[in-house]
Amino acid sequence: MSSHASKVDPKKAELWDTHHHSHDVISTRTLGYFLYLLSDGMLFATLFAAYGVLSYQHSYFGGPTPADFVKPWYTFAQTIALFLSVLSYGFAMNALKHKNKSGLINGMLAAFVLGVLFLILDIHDMSHLAALGITIATSGGMSAFIVLTQVHAAHIFFGLIWILVMMTQVMVKGFTEEVVGRLLTLRMFWHLQAIIWVFVYVFVYLWGYIS
Amino acid sequence: MSHGAADPTMHPEVQMSTSKGYFLGFAISAFLMLVATFLVTSHSVPPFGLLMVISVCAGIAVIAQIYFLLHIDISEHNIWNTVALVLFIPLFLITIGLTWWMFSQLYLRTMDMSAMSRMNMGTAVHSTANPSSSSMENMPNMHMTADAAQ
Repeated sequence: MSSHASKVDPKKAELWDTHHHSHDVISTRTLGYFLYLLSDGMLFATLFAAYGVLSYQHSYFGGPTPADFVKPWYTFAQTIALFLSVLSYGFAMNALKHKNKSGLINGMLAAFVLGVLFLILDIHDMSHLAALGITIATSGGMSAFIVLTQVHAAHIFFGLIWILVMMTQVMVKGFTEEVVGRLLTLRMFWHLQAIIWVFVYVFVYLWGYIS
Repeated sequence: MSHGAADPTMHPEVQMSTSKGYFLGFAISAFLMLVATFLVTSHSVPPFGLLMVISVCAGIAVIAQIYFLLHIDISEHNIWNTVALVLFIPLFLITIGLTWWMFSQLYLRTMDMSAMSRMNMGTAVHSTANPSSSSMENMPNMHMTADAAQ
């Protein structure tokens, strides 16, 4: 790196830095993944906007509205299952901090089981609606409701697969830089699902119930 | 962002985890969701006030989760995550807010809401879509006043 730019011969100048710099791989990847998660947040913004404009009375075309079928305490149980799953993953990351592999695996296993419980409750809820004849084709309002809630459930589904993959990688590969970085990005992903769920629960389920 | 690269578990993003922080994030958000659910099911607050209260509950729960779970703060290590999130929030709100505003104005100017309601109640187009009356025991007539709340 020349300190006098005017003396550089353009025909001989090196245009790239050949020296090796130590590079914080984990931080670079987690920031990149965080930006990706924010764009995932924009996906939810469009779905919330669609639900907002399709939750008027005429949007339901005279058919059922969330006020007819939402059971707040049932969905509250889903909320607690997801929050406990997120808490378990947090405890797993605390075990990682102390290099406690069995603590990490136990925490991730608890997060997985509670995430499965959330998904079972969601599938049971959706099949209950289907049994009542309420499907995605019932009305525009129901399309927006089901798409928004099930896109969130799809995030949980893929997160559960990711938890299983990371449990395997921790057991096979141990605490390498790649595995620790992936555990951190999975932590962001899993915790963001709880944050999105707060919006889904309050502004779709609870508000739908009182509208 | 200087730290020993030899042991990845010593990375600051691993070391910033605390069980107390994760538990606080859980406890605060779970309590606020409990309050919101209780208020909604008890029918003790009028709808508009109820919407305000549950919105505040959601706002505090989200802030607590962002702080305690995502570790968003102004420390040197996290500042770029925080900047990205702060710049993201207006995009998120504008996307939802402007879309909702545009369509609410459109409906206001193009539709006769009262005629729409009468038409929908008169013609049972989706009779198979209506749930049985037993499933509607909670608030059987609420859907007829939904546009008043919007």
